Amino acid sequence: MAENGCSGLLVVRCQLGEREAFTELVHVWHVPLLRYVRGMVGSQHVADDLVQETWVAVVRGLPRLRQPERFAPWLFTIARRTVVNHLRHAYAAQEVAAVEADVVAEDNDSLSGVLDGMEIEAGLSGLPPVEREVLILFHLQDLPLNACAEVLGVPPGTIKSRLHRARRMLRNIMAERGHEA
Amino acid sequence: MSEPNHGAHRDVPEELERALAAEVSLRSRLRHVAVGLAGGCGAALIAVLWATEPDPLPTRTQAGFAGLIAVGLAWAAFAGWVLSRRRPLFARDRVLGARLALVVTTLTGVAGVVLAAVRGTAAGVLGTALTGAVLVAAAGLLLARAQSRRRELLRLRDALQRKSS
Repeated sequence: MAENGCSGLLVVRCQLGEREAFTELVHVWHVPLLRYVRGMVGSQHVADDLVQETWVAVVRGLPRLRQPERFAPWLFTIARRTVVNHLRHAYAAQEVAAVEADVVAEDNDSLSGVLDGMEIEAGLSGLPPVEREVLILFHLQDLPLNACAEVLGVPPGTIKSRLHRARRMLRNIMAERGHEA
Repeated sequence: MSEPNHGAHRDVPEELERALAAEVSLRSRLRHVAVGLAGGCGAALIAVLWATEPDPLPTRTQAGFAGLIAVGLAWAAFAGWVLSRRRPLFARDRVLGARLALVVTTLTGVAGVVLAAVRGTAAGVLGTALTGAVLVAAAGLLLARAQSRRRELLRLRDALQRKSS
């Protein structure tokens, strides 16, 4: 992970109060953020609103961010909170978070080597939110395991097991749609 | 994580840019700083007026003063809430705000002491001077901390710039 020297510098400039740095920061991170949120909620219109809400929360929280180089996990943590709040409201009684098994599965899934962003995006809509978001963060946003764990607030081992399960589910979905695994 | 695409500028909607420009506005922040200082310092001056009144005030006047003090403190509390939750100050804004606070609390302190000296007793003058000194010291401390944080961020910015170049 090239832990964002450029973003770190932009964050520090924002914290100093250089207004033009905010514009640059938003331009750098808007597309990855939108991609994550859209992947989670499915709708472009809802995603636009949630992304705006996320950016407002980011601007308000930025003066308190003590580790500018950790901006990416912090950003996705805020985005995730926004998405989860939205899903909670949208599905009222439905719990967004699933209970995680403590067993840490080894990541030996043969699919991991052949999955690419396009395939994952195509099958994402068929996955439950928990599995969908771990795939988005790990494969589409290229966040490393530890950063995913930080964003999702679970141990790295749990991320591995979620990834394992998510890939398996995705493989089934892709197989049902006639794709070769 | 690889650095996102810097050429994606066109993908940021104008509506979002406008919303964020309003969100980071310096003018909005300083307006709240001014409102908070005006409310707090106004309440302090009315309190000095009330405390240094030689004769007991009529009940309605007391109620009026109490109301004005409450309004001033409410504005100060509102500004404090906005500046901590909705429009937090960035390092440069914090220095500006603290300078403003130092000037205004010094003026309020001096005005309060003069009022107390003209109208009140020695004890009143002493009490007002002490309160004024505490307020000025608090503003001075805020300014020192704001400048220290800004220096720290400037050092970090320079280090990151050197690293990236």
